[in-house]
Amino acid sequence: MALFSVFQTTFLLALLSLRTHQSEVLSEPLPWAPESLKVSINSTHQCLHLQWSVHNLAYHQELKMVFQIEISRIKTSNVIWVENYSTTVKGNQVLHWSWESKLPLECAKHFIRMRSAVDDATTPEQRFWSNWSSWEEVDVQNSLGHEPLFVFPKDKLVEEGSNVTICYVSRSQQNNISCYLEGVRMQGQQLDPNVSMFNLYDVAFIRETGTNIYCKVDRGDDIKGIVLFVSKILEEPKDFSCETRDFQTLSCTWDPGRDTGLLKQLPQSYTLFESFSGKKILCKHKSWCNWQVAPESQEMYNFTLTAENYLRKRSVHILFNLAHRVHPMAPFNVLFNDVSVTNATITWKVHSTGNYYTLLCQVELYGEGKVIQKHNVSVKVNGELVLSGLQPDTEYSAQVRCANANHFWKWSEWTRQNFTTVEAAPSEAPDIWRNVKSVQGYCVVTLFWKPLTRLQANGEILFYNIVVKDLDRPSGLQLLSVPAPANRTELTLDQRSYQIHVTANNSVGTSPASVLVVSGDPGDEVEEERVKGTEGGFSLSWKPQLGNITGYVVEWCDRPRDPPCDLQWKHLGPNTTSTVISSDAFRPGVRYNFRIYGISTEMVPHLLEKKTGYSQELAPSDNPRVVMSNLTSHSFTLSWKDYSTESQPSFIRGYHVYLKSKAGQCHPGSEKAVLSDDSVCCKYKIDDPKQKTFVVGNLQPESFYEFLVTPYSAVGEGPHGAFTKVTTPDEYSPMLIRIILPMIFCILLIMILCYLKSQWMKEKCYPDIPDPYKSSVLSLIKSKENPRLTIMNIKDCVPDTIEVVNKHEGTGKSPTEPEAAKPTYLYLLPAEESYSGPGPCICFENFTYNQAASDSASCGHVPVPTKAPSQLGLLTSSENLLTALEKNCMNSLEEIPAGESSLNYVSQVASPMSGEKSSLPTNPPQPELCSEYKMQMAIPLGLAAPSSSGSSSLSSITLLDEGEHYH
Amino acid sequence: MQAQLLWRTLPSLVLGLLFLSMPAMGSCSDKYPELLGQLQKQADFMQHTNTLLDLYIRSQGLDKNGLKEHCRERPGAFPSKDALQRLSRRVFLRTLDTTLGHVLLRLAALEQDIPKAQDLEMLSVVKLNIRGFKNNIHCMAQLLPGSSETTEPTPTSPGASPSPTPTLDTFQRRLEGCRFLHGYHRFMRSVGQVFREWGKSLSRSRRHSPHQGLLKGARRMQLSGRNKRLMPRVQLAPGSHRGAPGG
Repeated sequence: MALFSVFQTTFLLALLSLRTHQSEVLSEPLPWAPESLKVSINSTHQCLHLQWSVHNLAYHQELKMVFQIEISRIKTSNVIWVENYSTTVKGNQVLHWSWESKLPLECAKHFIRMRSAVDDATTPEQRFWSNWSSWEEVDVQNSLGHEPLFVFPKDKLVEEGSNVTICYVSRSQQNNISCYLEGVRMQGQQLDPNVSMFNLYDVAFIRETGTNIYCKVDRGDDIKGIVLFVSKILEEPKDFSCETRDFQTLSCTWDPGRDTGLLKQLPQSYTLFESFSGKKILCKHKSWCNWQVAPESQEMYNFTLTAENYLRKRSVHILFNLAHRVHPMAPFNVLFNDVSVTNATITWKVHSTGNYYTLLCQVELYGEGKVIQKHNVSVKVNGELVLSGLQPDTEYSAQVRCANANHFWKWSEWTRQNFTTVEAAPSEAPDIWRNVKSVQGYCVVTLFWKPLTRLQANGEILFYNIVVKDLDRPSGLQLLSVPAPANRTELTLDQRSYQIHVTANNSVGTSPASVLVVSGDPGDEVEEERVKGTEGGFSLSWKPQLGNITGYVVEWCDRPRDPPCDLQWKHLGPNTTSTVISSDAFRPGVRYNFRIYGISTEMVPHLLEKKTGYSQELAPSDNPRVVMSNLTSHSFTLSWKDYSTESQPSFIRGYHVYLKSKAGQCHPGSEKAVLSDDSVCCKYKIDDPKQKTFVVGNLQPESFYEFLVTPYSAVGEGPHGAFTKVTTPDEYSPMLIRIILPMIFCILLIMILCYLKSQWMKEKCYPDIPDPYKSSVLSLIKSKENPRLTIMNIKDCVPDTIEVVNKHEGTGKSPTEPEAAKPTYLYLLPAEESYSGPGPCICFENFTYNQAASDSASCGHVPVPTKAPSQLGLLTSSENLLTALEKNCMNSLEEIPAGESSLNYVSQVASPMSGEKSSLPTNPPQPELCSEYKMQMAIPLGLAAPSSSGSSSLSSITLLDEGEHYH
Repeated sequence: MQAQLLWRTLPSLVLGLLFLSMPAMGSCSDKYPELLGQLQKQADFMQHTNTLLDLYIRSQGLDKNGLKEHCRERPGAFPSKDALQRLSRRVFLRTLDTTLGHVLLRLAALEQDIPKAQDLEMLSVVKLNIRGFKNNIHCMAQLLPGSSETTEPTPTSPGASPSPTPTLDTFQRRLEGCRFLHGYHRFMRSVGQVFREWGKSLSRSRRHSPHQGLLKGARRMQLSGRNKRLMPRVQLAPGSHRGAPGG
């Protein structure tokens, strides 16, 4: 048979060769040459479709042939494509072939021709080709219409990154045409005078509505363009997988990747094909699809997921056994049984996945948000597990999930439940410490304790019991119960030793007791040492104590500057001699004091060491308040006694005293210093922080100085704030002050004394009415000048004139009535003319006499007129005078010693007879020479005339009445 | 971007509600000045290009030099202002109604070229506004005297074709859409001006002609004789005397 076939082929080839030769001669077509070639255009896809048939091929004949196709552009000689198309041809078959042009077909003429040959694969070089068919011309430009400008291809769909060729066809060669891609001009290549093409390489996605490309005639309004729809590349689906949760449905999911951006123009579809069953479904969603598991038990599945759009197709495959893709549902009915102090039993159920599957379940126990236990349990239907090692009164959370035990695929979702264990008695004794103060002979003990942790408390602490036991009197017990959450209590104890037991209690029971002994003995004071702190804390060490020491306690305050200093303590073992104390509360610049106690076996704390330090020293922030004293012309003293070095932000090492002066010279003991403001001054250094006085000496008198005292420490000195100004006095001022000040003081003292004793002085030295008996002047005069001068005595007086005063009684008439005021006086005074010459007279030297007194207040010697009526008028009209008479006369009369004479002498001040009185219409008597006082005799009542005036003369009358008793 | 969208959308929504308020209430207002004022304000609002044209230009990528210049109204696409002013009031309203009907059809076509949901939402708001405006036109037509009389024929609008020829490629369709929207905004501006002139003539007639009261009385008579309840969307058919449901 094979031999026959070879023979037939050889025969046919020979025949073909013969016919070819004949055709060259006879110009007849060879058998099996292509004929009826037709070319059509698909502008949308820029495709040329060729269809033809093979000449003389019998109906039943089948021949493997090759067709060589040539495509020329613009002109036939410009061949742009040659392709051999091999196919098996049957008789009368119409053959098809397509070719996609990169250049839009509208932009150039295309010419197509073809020839054929029998396809002998063994000897391709010996093919005998048929004649070429005639050129078929494809010219779309003719059918474009008459518009002046066209741009192609229209609405082309490409993927980003593609290369695209654009062209325009202009109807007029004169037009100058520019083309733009999204507003950017493109450079083209002219194909012929009317056609230009533009190659776009690696086109990018710009927007969902496509990329605008347009061409314009430069001088005209014509614009033509195309929209190039650039799509993002369709991505291959990722993470494609299928699984079942119930053996009825396979749920397949995948990640479709990014969007192509052209969902309207370029919709994409997802199809799922299973090769064993041959089923195919179109997925409604772009990321998942459900596949119904066949009722018959199909174990293996081979899925192909195909994502497809117009431009691209992407496929992914998975092959799996259904039993290996089981994703169990979450366990349910998770319960806790038999929950005790430290144990609990968890039970759960799982959804059935067939009788042949065992599930592996995982149980996780959470405490305080962390996984503390993890267990794996094999489960058929129901699961159970005992959780042990739990803490009392603690809330836990347990969660369960399951997976296929034989072929793990995925865990189910977790199912979670909470439970709380039962309470137990506190397991640890509270950590206690104390602070002891002695107040008025008593020990005030503040007892502190730290709250138990959850692990120690085993439940909610309700109260703390405190038992105070008097060690000196075993029977003396005191019990206190302090409700939680208090962490301290205060006890007032006497100066004996007490043992204090502290226990914490919850609803179940009592904790072990903490014991501490408080002794009345305050212990020995120990020296304080300095310690250097760091950011990590204070590293403390102490000498080990010999003897029975059960441990050490380090005590400090977190906030030493605040009144409740937040006492802290740390218990350390008996073999420990160092520790690091750190606290978040430690701040730079704050001094922390640490006390280290040793605890004896009797639980008595003994203060061993005291340490103080800063976690970080800071430069002093304040300068002391300086008081200046003892200012002299050459020195002054500065003192800052109230400056506390303890409250400074670093250990004060001393002080700097800065002194500024105009002279700028520094004396020994000081050094020159330049301040931050470039001013120069002298600096005195005080190395002893306890020295808080300083004498600034060697100063110049009457000079201006400025000083500043600032502390310094290891990290620097205090701020250079405002200087205090001082000016030294001159040298003599102090001396003058020493003299003048006492003098001023003495003068002031005298003046004060004089003022205080002014009354006494007045009485003594210048009384208003001198009392001759009391006058020391008199005695002075008497003793010095005239020892014969003495006080006049009545007995010594020889009356030479008697004045009789007639006094009316009971008249009651107004003195203004002339009739009632008839003069009834008998004047016995001697006539002036009868007074002859000088005679014996008595003179009083009145040192205090003055005009005012003479006018109004003196017991006026009323000049007696020669005529009675006129004198009456004077008396009645001058009330002031009478009033004055009342007072002074009374006084004078009282002062007259009684009993020496039947006559009373009234001391009278002589009127100087000047002023108004001189104008009186009376004949004023002539002043007596050398006589200011006159002796006057009172007349017995029967002889006295009644007073013409009522009240105004009452005093006189009284005086006169009293005169009835005269002797 | 979201804030800008909200800023653009919110007033449109408010205005849309305003447009629809009267049909929703089921009756036309018989207050001519009030209705005229509303129409005027609505036309003024719809003339702004930021309600539609700007959105379209941006979404279609026409905001490029060399392209923007070609987004100009094609002459004759919409009646010019002069042509509108020359029309009688009744014919003006009918022309306006017809033109806006075509605008609605064209917007439906343009919707196909807008891919973004946000832009589509804006477009639906614009359509809502136009429908409301058409209803107000109907109410105004009822207030005009002689509404039952035979009316003059509506002038044919060259731009009345509902959509460009389907043979146009995307780019040409895009440009045509842009030109159409440009013409739409210009048209609405002209409409607003015409309504303003109506308002001026109303105030003039109030000042100078006591006959206005009689005119209004006559209108009320006409209105009372008919059911004023409206369908939500009403289009005035050319040559018809009363509004017919349409849309």
